[in-house]
Amino acid sequence: MTGSTPIGPASCEIAAGAYRPRSDVRFRRIGDEAVVVRQDAPEVLVLNPVGGRVLELLAGGEPVGAVGAALAAEFEVAPAEAEADARAFAAELESAGVIEPAPRPETEEPEP
Amino acid sequence: MSLAPVIARAWRDNLLVSALVELTYACNLDCFYCYNDLGLPGAPLSRAQWERLFEDLAALQALQLTLTGGEPLAHPDFFALGRRARELGFLIRIKSNGHAVDEARALRLRDEVDPFMVEVSLHGARPETHDRQTRVAGSFERLLANLGAMARVGLRVKLNATLTAWNEGEIEAMFALADRLGLRLGFGATVTPRDDGDATPLTIAPSRAAVAHLYRVLGERSPDPPAGESCTPPPASEKNCGAGSSGIAVDPHGNVYPCVQWRRPLGNLHDASIREIWESSPVLPAVRGLTVEAKRRREGLGETGRWMSFCLGLSEQATGDPLGVEAGALTRAELLRRVRTGGGEAAPDPVTNAVPAGRPAAAAGERRRPLLPVIA
Repeated sequence: MTGSTPIGPASCEIAAGAYRPRSDVRFRRIGDEAVVVRQDAPEVLVLNPVGGRVLELLAGGEPVGAVGAALAAEFEVAPAEAEADARAFAAELESAGVIEPAPRPETEEPEP
Repeated sequence: MSLAPVIARAWRDNLLVSALVELTYACNLDCFYCYNDLGLPGAPLSRAQWERLFEDLAALQALQLTLTGGEPLAHPDFFALGRRARELGFLIRIKSNGHAVDEARALRLRDEVDPFMVEVSLHGARPETHDRQTRVAGSFERLLANLGAMARVGLRVKLNATLTAWNEGEIEAMFALADRLGLRLGFGATVTPRDDGDATPLTIAPSRAAVAHLYRVLGERSPDPPAGESCTPPPASEKNCGAGSSGIAVDPHGNVYPCVQWRRPLGNLHDASIREIWESSPVLPAVRGLTVEAKRRREGLGETGRWMSFCLGLSEQATGDPLGVEAGALTRAELLRRVRTGGGEAAPDPVTNAVPAGRPAAAAGERRRPLLPVIA
């Protein structure tokens, strides 16, 4: 989960610790919880407030390390513990088919 | 963590979860019992206004967006609006007659809109019956061809039927057709007046015997609640339904209602945003209070109430009072009670698919079959 793992041509590398919701996933925050729908399964998951916040941050493009830092600040948890929890939960979401590694954005070649 | 408590809280705390939008009343069929008010005054919402509504709904965290009509695909901007809805992350349901969804459009639906479900109306098991309802010759055969196209491209499709005097002899045949097609069939027993009060559709209301027969067939097919309906009350709610509490409906001219059946105007999108209407419509507090009172009224009916679908919209239309007990609802409840208590097993109300209380909730963290409709 750390570093960059090439999965094909260089332009298709995944970003370090970055995820995105899979294309069939829809989710919203309903009150404190997040309701997650996997259209293709089909399945519904309900995440608690912290889980929902993790998904929200990952979907917003935050790498998992930054998610941990955000959780530490928002929920008054030790940073190391928050990051470990964020990584573990991201792995859970990935294995549940909710998120997938995000491709690294292609860097633009400078104009000649 | 299960979904039912989340929905109960949405009802309690008035969290907008689901919106049904009638994009247009234009249609390529001419159904005898269509409920749309074709004489509705006002100006249609523009594409920009629909997009603004979708953006506001997403900001309010509404999850489910149902695109209907009329025939929603008859709206000139249907695909642009569908794409925007997808971009905004809605769980999209499309209610269509299927008449225009040939393979090319089915592909566009899949690739551009990616709906969770396309719900298609079926009016009979034979061309004569279906076409009699649609008043378009050849619509049945075309529907079958288009259902095949939708299946080939991988769209999720569900059939919806309403029991009428014209198709009441084809209940088993309609289920057999759905089974052959590999599709789920939701079958309701309530024919409603048009939204302008015109009672003409009631002239083809089904017989009592047919309603009882449908209830028996549904009970034989499954003791479980068929997914895909929208009025399943979550447990431990003080409200009868989520009308105006977790859901709204919008007509083509921007009028906002508590639900598709309850046409009590809450405001108009030409004058105010959905957020403004949701947060400050002077009508909504009364609407929400009535859903609480309706729950009490239903419970006050004892055993019959337990089997009853209490629709405030239908009651208001039929009796002038949203808390009035509509005779048809009482009749259906009694028929259902007789059929189901004879069978002995708790089962959903086929009119609304409401489930008698007491079903076990899923364990915390357990994945569940989708109960999407209950978020309405």
